[in-house]
Amino acid sequence: MDSEDDMHDANDMESVDEDFYSDGDGYGGDAADSDADVADYDFMGNETDDSDEQAVSRTQKNYTVLKEEDIRQRQEEDMTTISTLLSISREAACILLRRYNWSVNKVHEEWFADEERVRKSAGLLEKPAVSLSRVIDVVCGICFENFLPDDITSVGCGHPFCSTCWKAYITTSINDGPGCLTLRCPDPSCDVAIGQDKIDKLTSGEDKKKYYRYLLRSYIEDSRKTKWCPAPGCDSAIEYDLGSGSYDVTCCCSFSFCWNCTEEAHRPVDCDTVSKWILKNSAESENMNWILANSKPCPKCKRPIEKNQGCMHMTCTPPCKFEFCWLCLGAWSDHGERTGGFYACNRYESAKQEGVYDESERRREMAKNSLERYTHYYERWATNQSSRQKAMADLHQMQTVHLEKLSEKQSQPESQLKFIIDSWQQIVECRRVLKWTYAYGYYLPEHEKAKRQFFEYVQGEAEAGLERLHQCAEKELQTYLNATGPSKDFNDFRTKLAGLTSVTRNYFENLVRALENGLADVDSQGACSKAPSSKNTTGSSKGKGGGRGKNSTKT
Amino acid sequence: MSASSASSRKTLSKIACNRLQKELAEWQVNPPAGFKHKVTDNLQRWVIEVNGAPGTLYADETYNLQVDFPEHYPMEAPQVIFVPPAPLHPHIYSNGHICLDILYDSWSPAMTVSSVCISILSMLSSSTVKQRPEDNDRYVKNCRNGRSPKETRWWFHDDKV
Repeated sequence: MDSEDDMHDANDMESVDEDFYSDGDGYGGDAADSDADVADYDFMGNETDDSDEQAVSRTQKNYTVLKEEDIRQRQEEDMTTISTLLSISREAACILLRRYNWSVNKVHEEWFADEERVRKSAGLLEKPAVSLSRVIDVVCGICFENFLPDDITSVGCGHPFCSTCWKAYITTSINDGPGCLTLRCPDPSCDVAIGQDKIDKLTSGEDKKKYYRYLLRSYIEDSRKTKWCPAPGCDSAIEYDLGSGSYDVTCCCSFSFCWNCTEEAHRPVDCDTVSKWILKNSAESENMNWILANSKPCPKCKRPIEKNQGCMHMTCTPPCKFEFCWLCLGAWSDHGERTGGFYACNRYESAKQEGVYDESERRREMAKNSLERYTHYYERWATNQSSRQKAMADLHQMQTVHLEKLSEKQSQPESQLKFIIDSWQQIVECRRVLKWTYAYGYYLPEHEKAKRQFFEYVQGEAEAGLERLHQCAEKELQTYLNATGPSKDFNDFRTKLAGLTSVTRNYFENLVRALENGLADVDSQGACSKAPSSKNTTGSSKGKGGGRGKNSTKT
Repeated sequence: MSASSASSRKTLSKIACNRLQKELAEWQVNPPAGFKHKVTDNLQRWVIEVNGAPGTLYADETYNLQVDFPEHYPMEAPQVIFVPPAPLHPHIYSNGHICLDILYDSWSPAMTVSSVCISILSMLSSSTVKQRPEDNDRYVKNCRNGRSPKETRWWFHDDKV
């Protein structure tokens, strides 16, 4: 562990940190973004809120999900527009649109600036060059056989080919890939484009389907404003309003991703940090895999324990029954409400370096610390990731199975149990945010003491809130699911869970806001050495009991 | 070395046979200047003698081109290489492979052996230096085991020569 390599690693990391912070740390690097977004950070599951309509309409302005039918329809509409505007055929309109990456404006602009040049570059003839019908006997330019004029065609340029050769030419090109979309006359000296009409006439079955698939794809892939959803098996695309703030988009398949880098959604952390972190993880994965692969021993009885639930509150099996935190392996009684709500598990305490070390020992220690430090953040990042996966599965299970069962057991209509779905959606979203804040924390320079403290404070608050919420939704709910009949205290449970959902949402809104403005509040408060007070928590319902916000009154 | 790769290729389709017979007939009536088809009974492989054009770096030099036709010629490009020793040229490798776009990406079924020959001679004629491509040794090494130039991903960056 304390080899030369580790020491290099320590050095590398330093330089990486510097690079990152030298070019500003706002999300997406665009100052205008952060202002506009802070107000409506849109967590899932707050549909019942009044402020929500705003958020939704904003989301719609920001991006649009395009299904296959939508894309086709848009292509058709664009072709109609161009063909009407320029008084040309639909086939010609299609050729032009492809030439200019499906930008109606660009076609329009270029055409009226210099029609001749556009025609030449796209391969569109103004009128057919020669008519073939006057000749008695024509030689096909590919097979060199003689044909009657009726059996031979050109794409308006007069280069004659028989239908067998046309068919083979087009089919070969389609099977070679998307290049078939820009197919030209086979004559090497001729640039005339081959339109859809020719394709329709000469292809069928798989080949035709392939061509139209390429045509559909070109609409998304050629434009800077559209991208395919990267989720496996999803064939929808996202159209994004460039320069419009938050990059997080959610496809209709419910996959959330960052439009800018197409990694999974990582707000409030910027794309650079994410790509650096992912690269770092792949480089370190050999070292790290054991953490995920191995179970941990119970800190008390030392029996191996495998984590099978989403929240970090672990209880060892009887007779031990020791309750501890999965992340720090400390007693759970040191966490959360019982000790005044202070949850310090997110904080990385670098090993104290007291006494005098000789130089080599000091460097060895540094290298070891750098790996330990990375391990700290990586484990929390990875655990929140798997915790989120579990929560997503639980949410699905809840929606498909448990809600109905619960409705039966507790004699409540399903509409009255929506607060449970809300809470699970909140958990999924919070796990995602929390996960990325660990990548953020890793790259936050150690010497920025005030910022670190503030960051760890808001992160810790959010994390503690989430743990309470996750535990309540995961474990306490079980009692009511397993009950034989309606439970008397079900309404109390409802109030508690809805309250926790709301409180947690507030904590995370604060966390997101703090990170998105680069922890700037620390500066405005001066170099305070204590964790900042509630400046950033205004608007949140402080304290545990006060969490019964708008949500609970509606249930 | 490419004999093995050519013999393993599928025989010509009927369309390809017809077309090649027509090309051959046309060649016999009207051969491109500077080229001589060496008669064999193999329609699928042509060997063509090239004479460097007078007044160019390759004047008075003679080389042999080997042209192998795929099953679906002319929809697919023929494989054209110089039989070593290949002329010293910035786009011709010592194993005979030729870096010329119409032999690969820019092939069109309306092209013929004759038009390809003319392009190759024009490529030779416009050369101003007799030298191998910069990456000759690396490329040739990678092509051992008789790899066809059609399997290479060519990058056509120079349209002067």
